[in-house]
Amino acid sequence: MKRKLILCSALALGLVLAAWFAEALCPFDPYEQNFAAALQPPSWEHWFGTDRFGRDMLSRVIMGARVSIFSALILVGIISVTGTAIGVFCGCSRRADAVLMRLADICLAFPGMVFGLAVAAVLGGGIQNAVLALAAVSWPKYARIARSQTLAVKNADYIAAARLAGDSFWQVIGRHILPNIAGTILVTAMLDVGTMMMELAGFSFLGLGAQPPTADWGSMMSEGRSMLQLYPWVIFTPGIGIVLSVAIFHLLGETIRDHMDPKNRTGRRRE
Amino acid sequence: MRGTDIRKRLLLLIPMVLGITFLSFALMHLAGSDAVLQKAESSGIALSQEVLEAQRAELGLDQPFILQYLNWLGRFLTGDMGTSYVSGKDVWSTFLSKLPATLLLTGTSLLLTAGIAIPLGILSAVKQNRFTDGLIRVCSFVGNSLPNFFVALLLMYLLSIQMPVFPVIARGIGWRSAALPTLTLAIAMSAKYLRQVRAAVLEERNRDYVAGERARGIRFGVTLRKSVLRSCMVTLLTLMSLSAGSLLGGTAIVEAIFMWDGVGKLAVDAMEMRDYPMIQAYVVWMALIYALINLITDVLYHVLDPRIRLEGERS
Amino acid sequence: MKRRWIRRGVGAMLLAAVLAGCAGQAARESGEKDPPVRQEAVQEEKTLVFGDTTFNAENGESDINPHHDSGGWACIRYGVGETLFRFTDQMEIEPWLAESYERVDERTWRITLKEGISFTSGRIMDAEAVKECLEALVEANARAAGNLRLETVTAEGLTLTIGTKVPVPALLNDLADPYGCIYDVQAGVTEDGIVQGTGPYRAVALTTDTSLELVKNEQYWNGEPKIDRITVRTITDGDTLTVALQSGEIDVAYGMPYISYPLFENDRYTFTGCSTSRVIFGAMNFESAIMQDPAVRKAVSMGIDKEGFVETLLGGNGTPAAGPFPDTVSFGGDAVRAPAYDPEKAMQVLEEAGWTDTDGDGIREKDGTPLTIRWLTYPSRQEQPFLAEAAQAMLKTIGIRVEIQNTANHNQVRTDRSAWDIYVSTFVAAPTGDPEYFFAYHCLDRSGSNDGRYHSDRLESLAEEMEGTFDTDRRAELAQQMQQIILDDSAYIFFAHLRMNMISASNVTGLTAHPCDYYEITADLDIRE
Repeated sequence: MKRKLILCSALALGLVLAAWFAEALCPFDPYEQNFAAALQPPSWEHWFGTDRFGRDMLSRVIMGARVSIFSALILVGIISVTGTAIGVFCGCSRRADAVLMRLADICLAFPGMVFGLAVAAVLGGGIQNAVLALAAVSWPKYARIARSQTLAVKNADYIAAARLAGDSFWQVIGRHILPNIAGTILVTAMLDVGTMMMELAGFSFLGLGAQPPTADWGSMMSEGRSMLQLYPWVIFTPGIGIVLSVAIFHLLGETIRDHMDPKNRTGRRRE
Repeated sequence: MRGTDIRKRLLLLIPMVLGITFLSFALMHLAGSDAVLQKAESSGIALSQEVLEAQRAELGLDQPFILQYLNWLGRFLTGDMGTSYVSGKDVWSTFLSKLPATLLLTGTSLLLTAGIAIPLGILSAVKQNRFTDGLIRVCSFVGNSLPNFFVALLLMYLLSIQMPVFPVIARGIGWRSAALPTLTLAIAMSAKYLRQVRAAVLEERNRDYVAGERARGIRFGVTLRKSVLRSCMVTLLTLMSLSAGSLLGGTAIVEAIFMWDGVGKLAVDAMEMRDYPMIQAYVVWMALIYALINLITDVLYHVLDPRIRLEGERS
Repeated sequence: MKRRWIRRGVGAMLLAAVLAGCAGQAARESGEKDPPVRQEAVQEEKTLVFGDTTFNAENGESDINPHHDSGGWACIRYGVGETLFRFTDQMEIEPWLAESYERVDERTWRITLKEGISFTSGRIMDAEAVKECLEALVEANARAAGNLRLETVTAEGLTLTIGTKVPVPALLNDLADPYGCIYDVQAGVTEDGIVQGTGPYRAVALTTDTSLELVKNEQYWNGEPKIDRITVRTITDGDTLTVALQSGEIDVAYGMPYISYPLFENDRYTFTGCSTSRVIFGAMNFESAIMQDPAVRKAVSMGIDKEGFVETLLGGNGTPAAGPFPDTVSFGGDAVRAPAYDPEKAMQVLEEAGWTDTDGDGIREKDGTPLTIRWLTYPSRQEQPFLAEAAQAMLKTIGIRVEIQNTANHNQVRTDRSAWDIYVSTFVAAPTGDPEYFFAYHCLDRSGSNDGRYHSDRLESLAEEMEGTFDTDRRAELAQQMQQIILDDSAYIFFAHLRMNMISASNVTGLTAHPCDYYEITADLDIRE
């Protein structure tokens, strides 16, 4: 159990570090074109082959990790923090609750892609706009979780005790409520990283994601889709990047959840 | 008691509709292009500022934002959503003519998702930590990590070229043409939900009553059918309504790839051409349909789950 | 109480289920038709499916109304409409719906129509019908009005007399433009944009961005069309087109991605292709401060490797261009000089003009303004985004940053001259084999598509001279001078002339690519079972 958690964390950390130091890891300049070397299959020189511009795919996949992983992480960061803040606030204040939760309902009513298309139509393409569009419709999920968790612990005896002991409203939130709900939020966020990567890839497919020549996995796949039959490495290598990183973040999320859930542990023991 | 509850929910739909329409209207307003400008641009004739202003006044586009919104809402409620910038046709009737195709695709995908996710999820839970479970979970990880346009391409390649079973491009709206788009949508969706089904079943399974029944010598399979599944219904229902939401929007890409003549493709085309009235119709209606689905789900919760019903009565 | 609510709830569910069922049923009824009909079709009637990536609103072809936008292209390509004159394979003009013509004087033409031709509406095509159509054309289409400059049109039986406001030497060529498709104006244009023409096929249904249904015109005047039903399918996505042709769902494909060609280079498929005057070119924006600097325009022209683009990204399906016209015409090809690809010299030009990289980021600046150009293009011509991305990398090496805006909405964006610096599009430069068309369309003060507001006094005066010149040799001479002017000004860059290919299943016959790219579905088109 513990070993699995360490393994998953190490993998995820490795992924993030690789994305961070992408420039140092690239064997070639991911943006340098070389028509003479276009569409070469994987070889010792180019492990992942080259694309139609003769760019080294391995370098592009490494470079793409940065855009794909960081944009997903930033997106999840934004929605989990704002969502949680709003949710906790709603859980504590009845008046805010009525207004903000209606707003959340309305935002939640827009299926993600639908709103994304609308935002893109207004703002135009680009990875920032894609992140913005998805953030606009994804925060309510966190707000709801945080709110219900807050409501659940708000009336617990120890909170009342803390209030009696003279803790201020903010102290109660900071010391008692947030630590209590952080776990659930973290797990949800980890599981969401993968989902958001996929959603962003979908935006890239419609030409609304990263703009050329920026290497990101979604747009690399969408650009390489004509080549599935003849030059499959152009589409499969970024695909492997997506599958691996989505899987790693998912596994990490699930492992943390299992680790934190006491019920699960007792259940396992009983078996 | 129950009646007021549902009535209350229906009443909540009103601010919801207002919110949805307001947000979409405001968004399109931000786009900064209006019908007058659009018409001038498409005719290619340069009009003076005065002429533009006069035309705006005629259409009420010079009024304050809120008034414009109310005007628009009034027309919206009577089914007048303006005309398309591109084709010049009535937006509402165009949208309506393509809606059934999308709803059909959403429906078939939902059914197939349920058909894959529920049995496999249960199987995976029953065989927890055995080989079958592992295999199913690996497949679900992979299925969940593939962008759907990639799945679409792979399916096209496998089922249309290697084994010509299904057509690639939709010819009319039929079951055969629906096969590939449905499969594409259902694969990602069920990969995601079968894990949640598994988790829900596992959670029920670890409850005391299950252990109790086991102690009484009742086989787990029987308990599963009799009690566990019933208790999981709420989770399943939530999953279904959530997936309906992501399907309503998620069909857009798949419709565009398979040339499925629904509102998703309409929206993608409209977005590329900045056809704002059309995009607006799409956004508003998809949100309203989803809100309606959520409402139905909520009602079903009450019908299905005694616990929620009791909670509702208590508060 | 509770019970009743449950029952109502269940009732509502049932109702919803029934409704859903009805929708499904309706869908099934309309959709399930397809397999059986298809089987019968094999026995009774010949059908063909034509997949096309360009039949869509993005290309101005939201319908087949020749007077609307570029609808004429769809009208003529898919065999619905025909023009008074047409081009031979050698790009010479010949009568089509017309029988003969006579130039009475510089401003008057007398055209005799063929006898016995009728529209698919049933009406006889006589001079009166043609007159109505031409008058509707110049009324509705600014470009046609600008080219034809009609003053009077008189009709008498089968004789049509056209008087122009000024001498229009290329009038017959202009009448052969797709907008010149003759249709029955009295029968009108349906709400979906269908017209009744004289071609081998009659349009029966049209859905923008989706499909066009054609049936055989039983009364066709020029031979019997061989196929009973043709469906033209819009398939905007190149990969879907590839797979659809492989799986046999479409019989003919127009707009196949070059990268997929190897899949079809075998005896199950037939290629038909030819060099065209379709040129991919960039127009510089003269209202943009950066592009007003001649050094920048010159450096951009010298900084792009056209050969590499053609060989690698077009897979050799084209020829690098110097000017707008291909070497098939006397004034095209090497008759003009464009700046050669020379990054060193391009850098020198920029250096001399004061563009230097002061902050070491690889991009040049002048007075604090970074050398960034915005490259506007659109995706439906598959090679354009590749060119943009290639140019981006090439220009970066000489210190120019390129921001790409690749949008289907280019037609709207290009009218906003504050939004772009170079607009790259694809255009058939000499559809008529005559040089006037290109300049009249793009480069003059009166041109409707002078997107970059280019102006040159000398060009204007030469264009004026060309307008009144009937002598072909003199026109060629003028064309050469005019091209050289726009190239010396670096007002346009011409990248490549494209080779046009259609790929069909090998049982399709009678499909021939034409240099002007107008004629695709003809009465000759056939499919063997």
